[in-house]
Parts: sequence; structure tokens; C-alpha cells
Amino acid sequence: MREKITYLIAAIVGALLVSNLYTILLGLPDEANQGAIYRIFFFHFPSAITCGICSFLSLIGSVMYLWRRNLWWDAFAVSATELTLTFGAIVLMTGMIWARIIWGIWWAWDARLTSTLVSWLAYASYLIFRRAIEEPTARARFSAVISLFTFPGVIISWKSIEWWRTQHPGPVISIRGGGGMAPGMEAAAYWNLVPLVMLALILISIRLRQENTQRLLDGFRRQAHEI
Amino acid sequence: MDSRNFTYMFYGFAAAWAVLVIYVITLVSREKKIHQEMDQLKKLIEEGSRK
Amino acid sequence: MRFLRQSLVIAGKDLRAELRGKETINASLSFSLVILLLFSFAFDPSADETRAICGGLLWLVFAFAGALVLNRSFARDLPNDCLDALITSPLPPSALFMGKVLANMLILMIVEIICLPIFGLFYNVDWTKQFGMLLVVLVLTTWGLTVVGTMFSALTVNMRLRELMLPTLVYPIMIPGLLAAIQLTTLLAVGEPLTPDYYPWLKLLVGFDLIYTLLGLALVDTVLVG
Repeated sequence: MREKITYLIAAIVGALLVSNLYTILLGLPDEANQGAIYRIFFFHFPSAITCGICSFLSLIGSVMYLWRRNLWWDAFAVSATELTLTFGAIVLMTGMIWARIIWGIWWAWDARLTSTLVSWLAYASYLIFRRAIEEPTARARFSAVISLFTFPGVIISWKSIEWWRTQHPGPVISIRGGGGMAPGMEAAAYWNLVPLVMLALILISIRLRQENTQRLLDGFRRQAHEI
Repeated sequence: MDSRNFTYMFYGFAAAWAVLVIYVITLVSREKKIHQEMDQLKKLIEEGSRK
Repeated sequence: MRFLRQSLVIAGKDLRAELRGKETINASLSFSLVILLLFSFAFDPSADETRAICGGLLWLVFAFAGALVLNRSFARDLPNDCLDALITSPLPPSALFMGKVLANMLILMIVEIICLPIFGLFYNVDWTKQFGMLLVVLVLTTWGLTVVGTMFSALTVNMRLRELMLPTLVYPIMIPGLLAAIQLTTLLAVGEPLTPDYYPWLKLLVGFDLIYTLLGLALVDTVLVG
């Protein structure tokens, strides 16, 4: 049953992504100055939101683990963190490629880019740390604490374009007070958010199942060796 | 569609998809490792119960 | 009040232990001086260049020196099961944490205050003009660095790769604080007064310290005891 739901959602995701690609590439009007490259925004922006959602899920997993001490939550936290890294990588890479064209440089050390990169590195070090500890309960406990320490950095990254004048474009979407996007474009950006978030959730669920299975296997292996 | 900067747009999309594909590949390889470990454990238990 | 007294007892113990051997302070100081020297060889900055980079330079040096100090912080108590004794004592883990933070803070401030004149010497910088404000920035940032670093020192104390994992974990978290410190220090160390432009950085430092001190106090129990 669960497999069937996963396949169904994956199919919906696939269909949405394909239809969105059509909209993004062919349906939307051209932007005045940027040429075709601006269309990458429709992956860059939803990926950034998805990355933020996943990091928030990771935070929830960590807090819930510390509260309930159920290792399922630890598995959830790891899965969410891996997806945070994945979508974060997408944000950074699409951003860099856009910047190469528009600003002429691959990278700029402004507040938002730096804090995004640093948050990405912090989550990566979370994963590295996990490999260094074998014992599952200690690993879960320490990882949860690290995750809680990393999360304020993410918040700072998100808020940084409001607090400082930075090179990164300011808020242009309408709910945040900017007025710079044509209505059709804004809808497309949000509409592309739906399949990406669903994709993130599917991948989290797959990774979660793998992590739980791995934990069971580790337990069995210990028992088998004792026998 | 305005085709200025089309190549880089393509690279951008390609990068995004590549990251996703790489992650899915890591998931698949992890799955394989889990299956291998399960088989090893099964063998270990069978040998243990035979003795 | 009792919490403060308990923290001061721990801080006193750590400082006494440190002053007997002086190994951490010596290592930290030598390391900082060597890096300051190395940078001056590597870049040979002119007066203008120095003005531009002095904040970054100083805080890189202090961050690296800090890693040395912080690594030793909980590791010092590992031999003879001292750490286990401290954890199982009636002392609340948050007081243990705060005591170590205070001790590390003092050690790091000593290193920084000694490094400043030497920096002024090597790079021909007059850091005394805005010393009051500069001291405030030093204290605030060192507090943030110490709080985060001591927490992760507690976390990594039992790991084999302690010396590697501590900087890897601490530096990304420290970046917002270090960034603010670098911006402020670049201005203050060469004697320029603070303009209202720079107040957001100060606010960031204070906010950073508050958040991570609270987080540290709340979570150190989980890390040390379970």
C-alpha cells in the first residue's frame, strides 16, 4: 500500500515537473534584460524554499528526538538533513551559473551567499560527524544538539537580504513587499514549488526507511555475532 | 523564447538535475548495500544454526 | 546566585590548573604570534592594505588560537576520570559548562590582549585610539566563540578525531559572529570611530551571543549526561 502511494506521488511529481518545464521554457514571456537565463529562477527559488523546509524538518526531527528519545526521529533528522544538502547544492549551483552571466562572476562574498554556503557546510559537517560515532544513541543525541546549533545560522541566512544591502537581489515576490515580478511568473515559481516539495518528501521517506532498516540490521548483526 | 544566454540556462538546468540524480544514485547504492548486508546476515545465521 | 558561585568554582579550578602548567596559553600565544608573522611575510601589506584586512587577520588568528584553547577545555578532565567525577557530582552540568566558558574566556582574552600590541608593532597600526569600543567587540566575540567552542568541546571530548571535528563544527556556526567582528574590528583597530552604519553588526554580535549562550546552557545537560 505504502509502495503504491509512493509511486503515485512520484508519478504526480514527474507529471508536474514536465508540465512546469513546458511552462517555464515555452509558456512564459521573456524578461527584458536577462535573456533565457532568468528562467533558472524557477528552479533556484523553489529549491531554496524546499531547502529551508527540509532544514526545518531536520530541526523538528532533532527536537523530537531529544524529547522522545525514539531513534525513528533521529533517522528522520538525518534524512531531512541530507535533502537539505541536496537542495542547498541545487540552489548554490543554479545561483552560481546565473551569477556568471548576470554579474560576470561565479561568486560574491555577500551576506546571503556566504551564509547559505556556510549553512551548507555546517550541515555537511553534521553528516561527517555522524560517521565518527558508532553507538546509535550517542550519535543521535550529539547529532540532535549539533542540528539545534546549526539552525540559527539558517535563519540568519534567510533574513540576511533584508538586514543588509547585499548584491543578491532583494525580495521581489509580492508577499514580501517587493513588486518586481509579473503575476504569471510569480505563479509559475510557486507552482514549481509543489513538485519539488513533494519530491523532497518522497526522497525523505525513502531515505528514512533505509535508515530504519539499517538500524534494525545493525541490531541483528550484533545479535548474530553474539550467537 | 529569447535565446540569449541559452547555453548557460541549459547548464543551470543540467546542474540542478545532475544534483538530484546523484542523490538518487546514492540512495540506490545504499539500498544495495543494505541488501548485501541482509544476505550476509542470513548466511551467518544459517551457519550458526547449522552448527 | 548559587549557579554563579558554582560556575566560579569550576572556572577557578580550570584557571588554576592552567596557570600551573601554562601549556595551553603558551601554545596558543606562540601559535598566534607565528601566524601574525607568517601573514606579514605572506602578504607584506602596505598601510592601506592593512587597514582593509586587519579585522580579518586578527580574527583568523584569534579563531585558530581559540580552537587550541577550546580543544583542551574538556579534554583536560579526561585523565583519571575527572570528567565523570564532575558530571556525577551534585554540580549542575550548566554550571560546569558556564565555569569552563568563563575560564576559556579569560584565557582567550589574555591571548588577544597580548596579541594586539604585537599586531600593532608588526603592521604599524595604532589600535589604541578606539580601544574602548575595540575591547567591547573583543569581549562580545570572544564570548560567542567560547560558548560555541566549549559546547562542542563537550560534544567531541570522547571522539578519536577530536582535534579535527571541533574546528569543523565550530567555524561554520561562528561565521555570522566572526563576520560581524571582522567588520567592526577593521574599522576600530585602525582608529576609526563607529558610524551608525555599523550598528547592525553590533546588534548581530549581541544577538548571536544571547542565542548561543541560551542554547548552550539548555543543551549541555543533554550532551554531558544524556
